Amino acid sequence: MLEAFDTFWSIYSNLVLTLGTSSLLALSIYLTLSCGMLAMANAAFMGIGAYTSALLTMQAGWPYPAVLLAGAAAPAAVAYLIGKPTLRLSGVYLAMATLAFGEVVRIAILNTEAWTGGALGLNGIPAETQPWHVALVLLLVVAVLERLRRSRTGRAFEAIKEDETAAGLMGIDVAAHKLAAFVMGAAIAGLAGTLNAHLTFFIGPNEFGFDRGVEILTMTILGGIQGLMGPVVGAFIVTLLPEVLRGLQDWRLMANGVILVLMVLFLPRGLWDPARLRRLLGRS
Amino acid sequence: MSSFTTRRIALTTLLIGAVGLSAAAQAAEIKIGVAEALTGPAAQYGNSIRNGFKLAVEQINASGMLGADKITLVIEDEQGKKEEAINAFKKLIFQDKVLMVFGPTLSNSAQAADPIAQAAKVVVFGTSNTADGITSIGDFVFRNSVTEADVLPVTIATAVKNAKIKKVAVLYGNDDVFTKSGYDNFVKALEAQKIPVTTTETFAKGDVDFKAQLTKIKATNPDAIVLSALIAEGAPIMVQARQLGLKVPVIGGNGMNSVKIFDMAKGASDDLWVGSPWSSQNRAKANNSFIIDFTQQFKGVPDQFAAQAFDAMHIAASAIKKIKLTGNLAADRAALRDALPTVKWTGATGDFAFRRATDKAGKPAGYDAQQLPIISVTRGVQFEIVK
Amino acid sequence: MLAQQLFNALSLGGVYALFALGFTLVFGVLGVVNLSHGAVFMVGAYAALTAVNLLHWPLWLSLAFAAGVSGLVGLLVDVLVLRPLRARNAPHLIPMIATIGLGIALNSLAQGLFGAENRRFPPELLPQGTLHFAGLDATALELGIILLSLVLMTVLLLTLGKTQLGRALRAIAESPKAALLLGINVEGLFMLTSFAAAALGGVAGVLIGLYSNALFPLMGQPVLHKGIAVIILGGMGDIRGAMLAGLFLGFAEVLSVAYIGSTMRDAVGFGLLFAVLLMRPKGLFGSTQERKV
Repeated sequence: MLEAFDTFWSIYSNLVLTLGTSSLLALSIYLTLSCGMLAMANAAFMGIGAYTSALLTMQAGWPYPAVLLAGAAAPAAVAYLIGKPTLRLSGVYLAMATLAFGEVVRIAILNTEAWTGGALGLNGIPAETQPWHVALVLLLVVAVLERLRRSRTGRAFEAIKEDETAAGLMGIDVAAHKLAAFVMGAAIAGLAGTLNAHLTFFIGPNEFGFDRGVEILTMTILGGIQGLMGPVVGAFIVTLLPEVLRGLQDWRLMANGVILVLMVLFLPRGLWDPARLRRLLGRS
Repeated sequence: MSSFTTRRIALTTLLIGAVGLSAAAQAAEIKIGVAEALTGPAAQYGNSIRNGFKLAVEQINASGMLGADKITLVIEDEQGKKEEAINAFKKLIFQDKVLMVFGPTLSNSAQAADPIAQAAKVVVFGTSNTADGITSIGDFVFRNSVTEADVLPVTIATAVKNAKIKKVAVLYGNDDVFTKSGYDNFVKALEAQKIPVTTTETFAKGDVDFKAQLTKIKATNPDAIVLSALIAEGAPIMVQARQLGLKVPVIGGNGMNSVKIFDMAKGASDDLWVGSPWSSQNRAKANNSFIIDFTQQFKGVPDQFAAQAFDAMHIAASAIKKIKLTGNLAADRAALRDALPTVKWTGATGDFAFRRATDKAGKPAGYDAQQLPIISVTRGVQFEIVK
Repeated sequence: MLAQQLFNALSLGGVYALFALGFTLVFGVLGVVNLSHGAVFMVGAYAALTAVNLLHWPLWLSLAFAAGVSGLVGLLVDVLVLRPLRARNAPHLIPMIATIGLGIALNSLAQGLFGAENRRFPPELLPQGTLHFAGLDATALELGIILLSLVLMTVLLLTLGKTQLGRALRAIAESPKAALLLGINVEGLFMLTSFAAAALGGVAGVLIGLYSNALFPLMGQPVLHKGIAVIILGGMGDIRGAMLAGLFLGFAEVLSVAYIGSTMRDAVGFGLLFAVLLMRPKGLFGSTQERKV
């Protein structure tokens, strides 16, 4: 029994831990979405967290817990800096602006070779991440977000999401709340980046660009943003899909795309829809 | 028939049956894992490599060099993504329980996935990884892809000598590991050979327009352009350079060594200097038969990636032949690792031997390729080998 | 050298503008960010290649064929995917995700059908040789691109500005519900817009294919990223803006290579984009009106 688990873990350990980091990324976008913002910079924030933490581990020899904190703090700081001017934008404009910011970060990494290794990336990052790190961080984040949802701040987010102008008129400091959500989302993405960097031995600039940003968004929307489980479910599906489709070999990527389209067409509120589930269960 | 003959026949049949059965019991299936980028941006290289492997395995199995044992390839698609490379390696090593793993296609993926093989004490053999930091991972890491550090200095020296080049301009892709490390090696070689650089320009993968950079280069009047690019950008660069009236020789890195240049840069492909462990013009017997067999089977000419994969599989088979497979996977994997460095092989890429590499601390680690590059220049519709 | 660089910028910018036009049309009229636009760009290129290689058609006919095939793909995307989503009032991010999936599927299909290696158009297709005039070197292709881009953009602008069709489209862009009440055939025009936008993308694909001599299944992706930058700069949904921003990006890139250094070229493009957005949130030419439902 133990041996079977051992074998399973040897084969799938990386996949399982990636489920954890993907969930964190999905939750980071969920946070900003719950405040009515579509901010697509989280792939870049993930990258900032990954590079900061990897450099601290490799060059400065910091212990892992400190590195984790730094990996969350660095992108949060950047988010704070660009948040004020950027968050004045709304809707798709905000999305695209943050996407563009992501590209700027990627190019900055490419051109600061002396620090980041440029296109060659950072190789030989010590594999510090243990499964319990991922589990702990995920549980903490979920707990914090759940508390947030039920608190006054969470209700303020909800109000801003529904109607920004009305929320402002009701006395909610819209700008401050949006900034808070943006910065927290960045910190969570940074944590995911740190965990990932210390899991895969290597990070490169091209991992944190447009494709990653789109992937994170897909996870969240697919899962649905009715609650915290949605993004996690979405993350699981998007991460597991390549594994599940492995048998299709050359046609795997195509199946991936088609499945995405079908899911969107037939499950528009996302997979995790408590209302629909209640209906389904209620019937039976 | 007399009862005596019947008994003779029965006994003989029994004997043959017993021998056959034991032979069947002895004939092992040797599982070799292959993790390459079969889809995604590196797909053309991954598919080429896979074909090289397939051809080699067919020939090895048909030749019977491993006795009754047959090689079976277990092929996984790592999509050119590092996470997928890791997952593919783990599946091959722990689920399929292969004897060794070939791949992955990209150097980035290798840097992420090779540590997995090293930790599991399974030989990982790269045929297309040329970046730093791969064979330094450990003593289970092998590659037969000659690094740019070995090839580029020879390319430059040969070109400079033959084309009377005094000063060069440099153009490279700064967002791709392959082209960037090519650039780093070019710079080292140019410094070592004391060749001044008039200007250095960059581009990114996926670019289609290089006129801005080329116009700037033309204004500095170099005797040649040193180009570190993949063929997708390299071909348009040559075309646009010629269109702008920039007719100087182009010294290319590994990415430019492909017969596709004649098609993609038709009319503008002359005077491209490349160095590579493999040349389609190399008329040695081993290479000739490889090219013929490959073209026949896959209905298209091979490239360097296919050639190196083909040779790598033969090198591995030579090592497997030397060891005795006991059926104990851990022991067999270790035995293979010990036998592999001793292999010397002459294949499509010429004479080959391994050379020990060191890790970051300077201690012996994995194994690089010890092979001489062939320098060629394009004339008309083919590469001409330059001595 | 400056004059040559400016000329280079004109042809580069022309292609960016052409691509962005289709992209921004769909956003302006349908309200959808269609991230499969990169894929129809690629479909156009391969369609023309097939016409040239298999059917031996001349360039102009293959170009028209490419426009038709891409347009058809765009139409199918609208009818099969975007329309059902409209019917159930899906939140506006959902169609975008669907187009991402479609883009992935189309790219993979192309790889399955055509293989992953780079292909090119036969060089005999175009007059070779470079013209020299006014101290500039220009190929027939570059002049052709500039001319074709200008013609298509002018046609589009005139259609939108002067014809009844154009007025109907602008009404829909303003508010689809109101347009419906006014008796405009909104669904029909959605289909037309999808077709036209994709056709434009397909043409851009052929032009880039000819220009770069490199056709490959993922060829639409880098252009898609640039296209996003262009339509944001120009104001999403604004046709004039997309054109001017396309040219602007072409100039910014070329000039930054010439005078700053090519390593910073992409950074200049996106950095400018970011800066412009912060100062003028709706883009350089975007209107200040948010789309009303």
